[in-house]
Amino acid sequence: MRIWTVALVLCLALAGMHCRQGTPTANDQSAEQSQPKERPTLNVFIWSDYVDPALVQAFEEKHFCKVNLNFFESNEQLLAKIKAGGAAYDVLYPSGYAVQTLVKEDLLLPLDHAKIPNLANVDRTYSNLIADPAMKFSVPYMVSTTGIGYLAELGDLEPSWAVLGDPKLKGRVTLLNDIREVIGVALKLHGYSLNTTDEAELAKARDTAIAWKRNAARFDSTQYHYGLAGGEFKLVQGYSGDVLQSQKENPEIRFMLPKEGFPLTCDEMAIAKTSRHPDLAHAWINYFHDGGVAARNTMFIKYLCPNTASYEQLPAEVKNNPAVFPPAEALARAEIVRDVGADLAAYTKVWDEIKAAQ
Amino acid sequence: MKQERWPGLIFAGVLLFFYVPMVVVVANSFNASRFGTRWQGFTFDWYAKLFADRGIWDAFVNTLIVGGAASLAAVVLGTLSALCLHRARGFLLRFKFGLVYLPLAVPDILMGISLLLMFVMVRVELGFTTIILAHGCFCTSYVAMVVLARLQDFDFSTMEAARDLGASPVQAGLRVLFPQLAPGIFSGALLAFSLSVDDYVITFFVAGPGATTLPLRVYSMIKHGAPPLINALSTLILAATFLLVGLALRFRNKEHTP
Repeated sequence: MRIWTVALVLCLALAGMHCRQGTPTANDQSAEQSQPKERPTLNVFIWSDYVDPALVQAFEEKHFCKVNLNFFESNEQLLAKIKAGGAAYDVLYPSGYAVQTLVKEDLLLPLDHAKIPNLANVDRTYSNLIADPAMKFSVPYMVSTTGIGYLAELGDLEPSWAVLGDPKLKGRVTLLNDIREVIGVALKLHGYSLNTTDEAELAKARDTAIAWKRNAARFDSTQYHYGLAGGEFKLVQGYSGDVLQSQKENPEIRFMLPKEGFPLTCDEMAIAKTSRHPDLAHAWINYFHDGGVAARNTMFIKYLCPNTASYEQLPAEVKNNPAVFPPAEALARAEIVRDVGADLAAYTKVWDEIKAAQ
Repeated sequence: MKQERWPGLIFAGVLLFFYVPMVVVVANSFNASRFGTRWQGFTFDWYAKLFADRGIWDAFVNTLIVGGAASLAAVVLGTLSALCLHRARGFLLRFKFGLVYLPLAVPDILMGISLLLMFVMVRVELGFTTIILAHGCFCTSYVAMVVLARLQDFDFSTMEAARDLGASPVQAGLRVLFPQLAPGIFSGALLAFSLSVDDYVITFFVAGPGATTLPLRVYSMIKHGAPPLINALSTLILAATFLLVGLALRFRNKEHTP
């Protein structure tokens, strides 16, 4: 009968948890709550590890609220969740084209600039690049670039996307597993816009990308920098933040922004139309564009918060690192990946052809 | 001789395939390297960071709550529906069998989307409730199938004998039927719990703010997160699992050797 004792104990344990379940947040709150008044809860939908938790805590204290961080790992996930409705998120962190989709579907709350005085700190160089330069619906949060990470043993490389096809590196190269990034840099190599919808230009990019694919080990957007740090790959198409992280592990890693131009990604902050605490959500956006907060956040995440007031507070090694801070002459070559609307079908077709090519 | 060697080789191969990845995870949880591509010294850092990470533990507790509640609901509903399916006959019951069986065959993504659409339609706010309902829903089918299998071995004439000897229907159910079914119910419950703890796809669709489960949390850490934290957490979960399985085996052995 011993097994019954075990079963009984398990059942009791489950029942105990079941009771807890009725007040999932009340438990968390009772520990922190010193005042009897109910704290409002701000629901934030954000990429994982994309904000310094100490800053979140400071915000909770400053605005007497509880912040609930919820995570997604692709723009498509975010869109699926928000489009379906039913979930009361307040602040969202879509990037680039996802913002445009949300705006088109009327899912974002227009921002009240009077409640976000720190918008004055936003670096115009970047806000002018995004689809919504007037920041009617969204505010830039972090920017990163797509460039080339490589091992120092390769020596001085020609700063060009053409190195992805270098036959000497056959099997030691990776490409991002992302339709717009791969086709985008192939377009850039030929001097075209990475948001082009011209079929001849796309066809040329496709041929280049197929040649790169034959030279590469694989398409990889998540683990490639581990492989670079470990020496499995010698050269990768990668995001600046990832490559920077792997530099900590392996100081022999270099990063460069090719001369033909490169994609710039900007993750933005926006407020969902369904937000229950729009004032608090505005306060959240305002808080993260305070110079001091932005500087701390940049240091923590290793991407760049485009906030001019924060720049002077960043240490020199960050300011002089082109992977964090692209120099002005490089920025002139940056282009943001935009929503191409119905023409995405043309991209998908090209992407399928690239993926299918032997 | 040849025949004797092959099973052993296959067995060794399967064991390797099962357990080498676990060994790698455990080893890397002590690796100072963030990426686990090289050995950079032994460290407990990841465990310290893991215990300090409020988000992961919140998600862990959420997962246990959801798993516990969903398997509890699934055990009750699944057992009842198995009893009903086993005893009754007729067209409607075959139809019901189909309905109970279907969630096992329907792809997760379809189930996730349809549940989400339904919740949105009836205006249930997404959160704990919706996850527990969704998990309870697919777990019920699994429990029903496991209990049904057990029922097939059950001789209902023993119930009749109990009634003949003066037991009330409730007494016969509790003292004859239930003890026979219990192992099935118990393993159904365990199955339901582990399915619920594992589930990503359905949970993703029906989760709402504040109800992040562990699989959702882990998956979202791929882009910016720290993989070694996951290694450390996996090691702890593995240790707990082995401990539980070991205990269960010991109890069972004792029971068999009085």
